Amino acid sequence: MRKFFPVEDLARDSRFSKITIADRMADQRTALNVNVNGDADGPSKRTNNMRLVPSRRDASDGARGLMHGIFVGEIQALEGAGRTCWDFETGTEAPFALKLDMARQCWDEARHVEISVKLSDWMGSEIGQYAENTVLFEAACSSDPVLRLAGVNRALEGLAIDVFTTMKEFGDLAGDQYLEFCEDWMLADEVTHVKMGSDWLRKITENDPERRKKALEFQNVVDKLFSYGGTRSDSQESPIGLARRFRELAGFTDAEVEDIAEVSMQALNERKVVVGQIREAKRLADQSAHK
Amino acid sequence: MTITVTPEVFNYVWFDADVIRNIATGLVDALGMNDYEVIIDVDETTPLSGISCEIGETIHIRACSGAFEDTRKPRQQSETATATSIGRVLLRARDRLVGGFGEAPADNDLSLAQVAAWETYSLGRLDRLGVPTNQQRWRYNFRNRLGFTDATDGAFEKIWGSDGLTWGELCAISETAIPSAAK
Repeated sequence: MRKFFPVEDLARDSRFSKITIADRMADQRTALNVNVNGDADGPSKRTNNMRLVPSRRDASDGARGLMHGIFVGEIQALEGAGRTCWDFETGTEAPFALKLDMARQCWDEARHVEISVKLSDWMGSEIGQYAENTVLFEAACSSDPVLRLAGVNRALEGLAIDVFTTMKEFGDLAGDQYLEFCEDWMLADEVTHVKMGSDWLRKITENDPERRKKALEFQNVVDKLFSYGGTRSDSQESPIGLARRFRELAGFTDAEVEDIAEVSMQALNERKVVVGQIREAKRLADQSAHK
Repeated sequence: MTITVTPEVFNYVWFDADVIRNIATGLVDALGMNDYEVIIDVDETTPLSGISCEIGETIHIRACSGAFEDTRKPRQQSETATATSIGRVLLRARDRLVGGFGEAPADNDLSLAQVAAWETYSLGRLDRLGVPTNQQRWRYNFRNRLGFTDATDGAFEKIWGSDGLTWGELCAISETAIPSAAK
């Protein structure tokens, strides 16, 4: 069986449509309130509160979209953990116990995929109804198992903790007991996955500070990539909040949580600056066209 | 019938103003609203999916680009999403114009439960007009606003299958789900 599987070759049927991070970055639209020249009235009037809660007017559709994102994320997490079991030689490249943890994670992720399919059905979405961003699997393509654990288990599964907490609270507020219950159980698994990443990172790099530094830098890059556009941060302008308590349970130190909070806010503010510049350029271009 | 779409050329998304115009023309015709001038303004700078409608001398529809977007292929247009979004605001406008909805609050003053009930009523009628709809999507929206109960599901089925309701009748059915639904 082939080792180190490229993201382009992931098997998907015709229902799925993949997009890359470059496609996402090329989309200059934003829901953020970047007020360059005054807001318009009507449905596009933007608000500073974008947190995904039932009182948002587009809450049902927002929750459906996020649920589909969870679904494809679970597929890729399953594929990533499965690859880590196979891509590295037992003993020399990765300890057997680490692979056992990854095998256990595969079992969890497969169950999460099934739960996500059922929840999507319950919420009125079809498989493949939303484009699939494959960046999660890309973080699982590193040739160093420690970097994979830092990128996938700590950065991405850490994001999953934030997402599941947001969705669990959504279900609670809306009175959707199925959603709340399922998210709560999946959240518990995610906390375990992050903890696996934290524990293995510390264990394997105990006597190798350079490798640990590299792994943490990689995690930082992935964290920032997934905070792109301000999707997740402490700010109410982000649809997904930072689940500090569950991150603590998953083995993040206070300083690490603060770092992620800072990276996320930075990503939000950078996006606002970029959008502001684009809008201003467009305004000036429109102005000169009308002269 | 005059239908105006702005912008004519899109920069942020790959939408086609002619496609929007043709879909709107078909709907206006099917809904018997040929006497009205319709203006459709698309805000292509936001991916949100909001859409609103103002009734004056013209029917003025304002839509965020997400309302017409293909969720499978970001920034591309979906004819189904376009028809669903325009259809549901046109139906709401027709309800107000035809009569029986005089007591309904202005669109901005509608509660989330009232919006969900009216959307359900509109989507059921669009479905019968042949516009493809995913009933479960709208049932989930209705449940989110009126509660996850059997009574809510019963109210949803009744509203979805109805034609010719008045605002009072729509509220009365919603109240079978939760007594405060009409408020």
